Amino acid sequence: MKNIVELIKRFYVFLIYLVLQGLALAMLFNNTNYHRAEFIRNSTDWVGGIYSKRANLAQYIKLNDINDELALEIAELRNEQPTSYEVQRFGIDSLVDTLLNQRYFFKTAKVVNATSNREKNYVTLDRGALGGIRPDMGVVAIGGIVGVVRSVSDHYAMVMPVLHSDFKASVKLKKSGYYGSLVWQGGNPGLAELIDIPVTAPVQVGDSIVTTGFSTYYPAGIMVGLVEEIQQANTDTYLLKIRLSVDFRKLNYVMVIEDIRKNEIDSLNNQMEQLDAATDHR
Amino acid sequence: MLQQIIANTIRILFLVLLQALVVGRINASDGLILPYVYIFALLMLPFQTPAWLVMVISFLTGWLMDYFTGPVGLHTSACVFLGFVIPLVNKFLSPREGYDSTQRPTVQRMGITWYVTYAAICTFFHHGFLFFIEVMRFSDFFYQIAHIFLSSLATLILMVIGQYIIYNTKTTEQ
Repeated sequence: MKNIVELIKRFYVFLIYLVLQGLALAMLFNNTNYHRAEFIRNSTDWVGGIYSKRANLAQYIKLNDINDELALEIAELRNEQPTSYEVQRFGIDSLVDTLLNQRYFFKTAKVVNATSNREKNYVTLDRGALGGIRPDMGVVAIGGIVGVVRSVSDHYAMVMPVLHSDFKASVKLKKSGYYGSLVWQGGNPGLAELIDIPVTAPVQVGDSIVTTGFSTYYPAGIMVGLVEEIQQANTDTYLLKIRLSVDFRKLNYVMVIEDIRKNEIDSLNNQMEQLDAATDHR
Repeated sequence: MLQQIIANTIRILFLVLLQALVVGRINASDGLILPYVYIFALLMLPFQTPAWLVMVISFLTGWLMDYFTGPVGLHTSACVFLGFVIPLVNKFLSPREGYDSTQRPTVQRMGITWYVTYAAICTFFHHGFLFFIEVMRFSDFFYQIAHIFLSSLATLILMVIGQYIIYNTKTTEQ
């Protein structure tokens, strides 16, 4: 009798273990889709609050680097000032209204937390839905692309950076225009991989990699990094190691990109998918 | 009893914050060495804690940790596993006459050999479970093994140092 009680007691503990573990794994594997965004919306605000206090503290230490970055940015902006250009007149001027053609809006945000030592890293920004940030907006830093906004709360936004095993972006070789996918497999936070480039493409170490502008996340031509190593993935395609131009270990300020034509492009894509589905049924 | 509940709660909250704000930022060898010291709070639970309670506390601690560090469920599942393992390891390492009610799983009460054995086994189980579930692929097998071993070692060293920092002052005061 004592043995049976002992057995049930042991089994009881194991049963509780199975229930708790099942619950935990269910939470984990529901993460990949947008359940996660709903789930953590409430927590993002208070966790973000703690992180932003920490970031304020850490910023004193980083002030030198931030000053250098800002000085560089000022120099770049000054280069683009009208005063830096010489007006040349050749006969008839055409009038280009740049405002009407504007497609992307840049919004600045401060990074309050960023990890780079895990398989699935995240970056937290101190600007959320109230600041006009929505999921699926692209994020860039001064040097190059950072990632895509995954979920937002009122005051904070969570970004899936390049350093995330689910991240994928369409990028191309600046020189030749061949395009492929940028992915990251974990490990070194300075190196990502570019796959699907055909072996017929001319590639050299040191070539620039830029965004294609195919997606609604980033404008075309934003810097991604430089080719560091060329490997052959299989008989048809290269596997290029890319030295990322953004150092994720010292992110400070980023810009979130709003694509004004996102809805237009998305609805067009949806229409095409519906058409494809309709023809498949026929 | 009440004192213990309060002490353990404060310890858990403090260590989770320490992990999220300080230790988790360590980036040694590009993430190869990544200690998770917050499990120290779970290893400090008294021997008399029932097994189910250890698992429930572990679950809640892991959940709290998950809010800070990304995918919800990752630390929760690793901690539940740890909570399942801790009572078994305690039983396995228990002296012949069992633990008496004054004993705590600390270096001061149980000796350095016992503590390192206990902490090493628990840390290794937790880190191993955590890193494999995080990656979910066996391609870089040796990298993963090195990752687990080096991170466990780092956690272990930090925990033993922590034991001496916290408890030496206390025992001399008494």
